[in-house]
Amino acid sequence: MAKLLDKQRYKCALASMQTVQAITRAIPVLHSGPGCAQKLSDGVGSSGYFSPNIFPCTSINEKDVVFGGTKKLASTIENALKVIDADLFVVLTGCIPEIVGDDTAEVVSQFADARKPVIYASTAGFKGNNYKGHEQVVDAIIDQYLKKADEGEKIEGLVNIWADVPYQNLFWLGNLRELEKLLAELGLKPNTIFGYKRGIENIDLIPKAQFNLLVSPWVGLKNVKKMEKKLGIPYLHYPTLPIGASETSTFLREVGRFAGVSSEKIESVINEHESYFYYLIERYADLFLENRVINKQFSVVGDAQYVLAATKFLVNDLGLFPAKQFITDDTPKEFQSAIVEEFKKLNYGIEAEVEFTTDSYNIHNQIREHDYHGYPLVLGSYYDKEVTEELKGNFLNISWPFQDKVVLDDFYCGYTGGIRLIEDIYSVAVQRFN
Amino acid sequence: MGTQYSGVRESKPGRLNDLGIQSKEAEAQFKKGCLKRADRSFSQGLQCQQINSMACLMSLEDSVFVSHSPQGCVGCAIMAIDMFRVGQAHRGEKIIKNPRIIVTNLDQKSVVFGGEQKLKESVRKAVERYNPKLIFVYASCASGIIGDDIDSICANLETEFSGTTIIPIHCEGFKSKICASGFDAAFLSINKYILKKKKLPSIPNLVNLFAPTTVSYADQKEMERMLKSIGAEANYIPFYSSLEKIKRIPQAVASTSICKVFADEFMKTLEEDYGIPYSHTVMPIGIRNTDKWFRGIAKILGKEAEVEKIIAEEHKRIEPLVAKIRSRLEGKRVFICGGTGRSFAAAALIDDFGMRLVGLETPTYDEDAQIDVEYLNTIHKDFIIDVANMQPFEQVNLVKKLKPDAFIGVPDWAAKLGIPTTHVLDGKRPTMGYDGLLYLGNKIADQLSNPGFNKKLAAHVKLPYRDSWYEENPFKYIVGV
Repeated sequence: MAKLLDKQRYKCALASMQTVQAITRAIPVLHSGPGCAQKLSDGVGSSGYFSPNIFPCTSINEKDVVFGGTKKLASTIENALKVIDADLFVVLTGCIPEIVGDDTAEVVSQFADARKPVIYASTAGFKGNNYKGHEQVVDAIIDQYLKKADEGEKIEGLVNIWADVPYQNLFWLGNLRELEKLLAELGLKPNTIFGYKRGIENIDLIPKAQFNLLVSPWVGLKNVKKMEKKLGIPYLHYPTLPIGASETSTFLREVGRFAGVSSEKIESVINEHESYFYYLIERYADLFLENRVINKQFSVVGDAQYVLAATKFLVNDLGLFPAKQFITDDTPKEFQSAIVEEFKKLNYGIEAEVEFTTDSYNIHNQIREHDYHGYPLVLGSYYDKEVTEELKGNFLNISWPFQDKVVLDDFYCGYTGGIRLIEDIYSVAVQRFN
Repeated sequence: MGTQYSGVRESKPGRLNDLGIQSKEAEAQFKKGCLKRADRSFSQGLQCQQINSMACLMSLEDSVFVSHSPQGCVGCAIMAIDMFRVGQAHRGEKIIKNPRIIVTNLDQKSVVFGGEQKLKESVRKAVERYNPKLIFVYASCASGIIGDDIDSICANLETEFSGTTIIPIHCEGFKSKICASGFDAAFLSINKYILKKKKLPSIPNLVNLFAPTTVSYADQKEMERMLKSIGAEANYIPFYSSLEKIKRIPQAVASTSICKVFADEFMKTLEEDYGIPYSHTVMPIGIRNTDKWFRGIAKILGKEAEVEKIIAEEHKRIEPLVAKIRSRLEGKRVFICGGTGRSFAAAALIDDFGMRLVGLETPTYDEDAQIDVEYLNTIHKDFIIDVANMQPFEQVNLVKKLKPDAFIGVPDWAAKLGIPTTHVLDGKRPTMGYDGLLYLGNKIADQLSNPGFNKKLAAHVKLPYRDSWYEENPFKYIVGV
């Protein structure tokens, strides 16, 4: 695990309460200190059906630290079932119960026959960050809720899609919807469990799928492997969130082939999209060809998902050149070399240097010291705004924490998402006087 | 002299966090000493005191904030960072800075073997990188339970770095359900590690003006203007201040605070340790409260005559403008939910506009609250009090039953019932003093004139509770301990 965190870019495993929150009508029940939900919530977008202030919480006090908090947990779950109108209750444990040794599994097992399913995930902050916590929650659903489907129950063409970590990735909702749309165009039946009208019915569909599609460099790999083993669902791991024409076309070909879609069908979907994509690009080529608007060199600072996705797009579609890239999600060592390889697969033999680090101080010094041959373009977290402004560069807030951008259902994924990212980058650039 | 105050607000006798009661009954029962402590067998999340300890100091110049915790404890720092950055912009800063926040990142190994090494490394890095005058080290639930001795680590490290004061703050979340305890923890440490009970020559007319994080720059200027009009110079602390200003605290001739639960205990300490008298009244929101706040500090400074003259002039200026707003708001029934200072202040404020209080949600009930309730009982009819930190499930149960015309406070849930909502907490715009009143009044009136957004929202969404909950007693889950 990462050492010290200077300007931290993620939250702890308990923040996977937001993964639960993203499942319609699923509610986290926190067995934690009094303020954990509030600490792990975001400033805006926190007034949905369920939101951090709504989450039941045991608010552990000094007495519970000494004598244990299981009694309080039992009464909280019992009463939550009476008061809250939800379809799924997910108990999440914070630091305290896991240090003092509360047996949460035992308490949750008392609710096996409750009117709604109650499951739990171990999400102590000291055990991992919210990327890991997200995986813990999905694992809990697989282990404690899902059952293997019979062959006869399988649905032809049904594909479960897993991509961003909800809320940690600002564009999670729009991205998932766009991925669904793209798969539907291939004639497949997409299934996701996060966002509007995606809830317990979609969770119930998971075992019936033909395969799992994971669109992420590493987060979720553990889950699809578990599902392969436990539920017999094969998976396709596509490490790059596709942004723009080049990557989305590659994505569609790979998914289509894996699903057994005819190449005529795949190519016709691709042609249609590329044609419109380049209609737009052609109209605004004057802007993109004008080097005085932005410079060629850029850095992306964010989680592996966005750094890889944006780098591929900016190099392969927009013709920019990568300076150093920084991955800040504390990617486990076992996945790092595969991710580094992806950064070598850029067009014209271009390879991007990439560093895995959680230390913003070092990142900012490196950005300061690098010669971007002009003003840098930095896509990063809100923390990177200060250094970019200092260098008079162009800054776009695409990774957590977010403060500069309000996103309801916008997205950067797919052909349309590529256009949105271009709009955002150039909207920043044209507002500046450099 | 009793034992030293621990910084945990619940440690004060007679202070309650869990109660549902009619206001007249509350007043009578408290007087008789019959209000008993309780707990909730079901509740929704509260606020962690560490947030308050951190947020109240985050705008101090030349400081580094080290959270000795796992990686989630500064998860919402972006909200304080936003306030800090906006505050810099309002104060005309050209290059807007981020606060320097370092997390020691306690992990599984630290939980077993202790996290002291991680803390030492983090503090050394903080000095190496930023060479600050001040380093604040914040305890967390995890560091507290595993027993890391942050006091002695800080003391030892300080001998390594002569130019930096390293200050431990004991703000473990589990210690208190009242997030304002986090303010007290911060002040206890400021006294112990910076001021050190050393008396200094006083500076004539210097007044400590304690301001919490939620006070906007507009409000700061208004408070400073008011103090200046009675010949006082404000030492505005600790928001947007510096080590130098903190060091001037013992040199002041008086202290006052903008918020009831901010530095209230610290001002008592300042009187005990440095002989500085203080005024602890109300939050200066609304005419009556602003007058009361202003008279309070003027009395300490011996400026009673001067302040009456200024108050009279201000009233002459403000009252016709308030009357205009009053004509738009008179007779409306209001439910209020807020922090300790603002909830009571808002309850007094609405009287300026002729509005009637039907329900009040406030985090604690104690001697201080009793003074407010006694006053509110004279201006409003019997209203319901929910002593709760948020607890939206109780709030919507009450609001649905009481059907107020307006809701003041955290708006998310009342809005979903279609009730017009306004907030009195605004860290970016004015709310305080005589002019803040006009801003607030117009905001409430405008909202009431066009409740369309909330009505539409209510028509399309449902609150997340089972229908049966609304049939229940809202205080059903408040049980004796």
